[in-house]
Amino acid sequence: MPITFSNVFYTYNPKTPLENAALNGVDLTIEDGSFTAIVGRTGSGKSTMVQMINALLSPSQGEVVVNEFINAADKKKRTKKLYKVRGQVGLVFQFPEYQLFADTVEKDVAFAPKNFGLKEEEALEEAHKALREVGLDESFDKRSPFELSGGEKRRVAIAGILAFHPNILVVDEPTAGLDPRGAFQMMELFEKVHKAGTTVILVTHDMNIVLRYADRVLVVDNGKIVRSSDPETLFFEDIEKYSLETPLLYSFVKGLSKRGFPLDPGKIHDVDSLAAEIAAKKGDKR
Amino acid sequence: MKFSLGRYVPYDSLIHRIDPRAKLLAILFLMICIFFPYQSWAMTFAVDGAIFLLLVVLLYMTRTKIVDILRSLKSLWFMIIFLLLIYCLIPTTEPTFPLAFEVAAWNWRVYWDSFLQAAKILLRLMMMIELTMVLTSSTKPLDLTFALEWYMTPLKVIHFPAHEIAMIISIAIRFIPTLLEDTSRIMKSQESRGVSFSHGRISKRVVSLTSLIIPLFVSAFMRSDELANAMECRGYDPRGNRTRYRLLKAKWYDWVFLLFCAAVFGVLLWFSIDPRFNALLLFPAEVH
Repeated sequence: MPITFSNVFYTYNPKTPLENAALNGVDLTIEDGSFTAIVGRTGSGKSTMVQMINALLSPSQGEVVVNEFINAADKKKRTKKLYKVRGQVGLVFQFPEYQLFADTVEKDVAFAPKNFGLKEEEALEEAHKALREVGLDESFDKRSPFELSGGEKRRVAIAGILAFHPNILVVDEPTAGLDPRGAFQMMELFEKVHKAGTTVILVTHDMNIVLRYADRVLVVDNGKIVRSSDPETLFFEDIEKYSLETPLLYSFVKGLSKRGFPLDPGKIHDVDSLAAEIAAKKGDKR
Repeated sequence: MKFSLGRYVPYDSLIHRIDPRAKLLAILFLMICIFFPYQSWAMTFAVDGAIFLLLVVLLYMTRTKIVDILRSLKSLWFMIIFLLLIYCLIPTTEPTFPLAFEVAAWNWRVYWDSFLQAAKILLRLMMMIELTMVLTSSTKPLDLTFALEWYMTPLKVIHFPAHEIAMIISIAIRFIPTLLEDTSRIMKSQESRGVSFSHGRISKRVVSLTSLIIPLFVSAFMRSDELANAMECRGYDPRGNRTRYRLLKAKWYDWVFLLFCAAVFGVLLWFSIDPRFNALLLFPAEVH
């Protein structure tokens, strides 16, 4: 079942001097099995939205439906034991390495599956699988998570979410602070998870990643969804007004068009397709 | 983040604008006033009532909400029971008021005095809480530490580390919201991993708590390490002679407020010492 937000509002610290409206009427649908990117400037309300999917926050108005769970402002409409939605939605916070606490890596990764009802041995088994999936071999299992490097810690934390096989995976800025190689591996991992049938929702500031991996983009500004489209269409428009940066590939294409070499942006998704397009065009001219 | 009691609220009232040094001293004056002893019950409650009225005015000026004040009193119910119990158990030797009840078998007599005693202490405790609320809700914590440092400066002569102490206090205060934010962030991420901090068996809750406390400690230590490095990079030396960006300057209304509170203090001190006043309106039974 898809995720839907209908007319969702959220206000932090209501009726105090620190009142702050984070969401101002969000309407959206995220289809099952999609790879959706949520982009927008800092403080636009992305994190608030993401936390509602996981029932960490409840809307002040409107309702959020995730699978069969209803997270509504009206308490009577809310699904009982709403927190159970967390077994289906895996939420990876920004800098998830700060949530590690167990004395060994495997115990930390097995923590969530155990909380969601698996037995000790089953949970450990899932933990080992998840660790292999994120690319950490057996030698890491018994080590303390605190002696690992930053990138490794993050992988452990993400394995801790993948281990309970959520059918919706929400990741907030997973590549922040990683080196390019680490970031690439991280994204390839999410791509793999997506290919296996999981709905992936990605919050990011990196438009190159959005172009490369996402099949849909939601632009959030001032607590509202201002654009919802596929990345190719969006990036060919003027997106600077939302403080978004045009992906490198598209600024290249835009530069070429300006100099009298127009290309069809709908066909360009990566370097290969760009090269093919250019070659085809040159072929025409010859 | 929850809106906690007595936390600084950024309004722009007259009380907010008063120099923190003047405010600290003035509030201290008022706080001492609350605890002056008087011989007669009438005088005690008359003066306490007057201070209470003054407090209501101050609270109104800082725009503290009635709900907040009531919430601050909610925690006092335990005190009420405890105080009543204590005063009922302590025998009244020279009662002013008639007997409330007695248990003849245990030779236990409780006079209305006990209840009045308890009421007096409660009223005074309550006033202390409200007074602190006036101070903390209208003064930025950092301004308060500046004020503290200013008062401690003369002690530097005897090598008292006034600046260091003020720095430690201000860093501690500065990091309260940061740590609260960390706490709520870690709680949320552990909740996403299926932890429940509010229900479950005790053994499970202990594990939930460790999953919160350990990451919190890790991040707190990391922050303090980073802060120490950042301070050292900027050449911080606690013994250095430094100028200040925020200069505190006393204005006329600071003096008015301070002098007013000092006057209240003076008058009440006189009332409390001078037998003509502190024994005003003695009940016949109070004359021994």
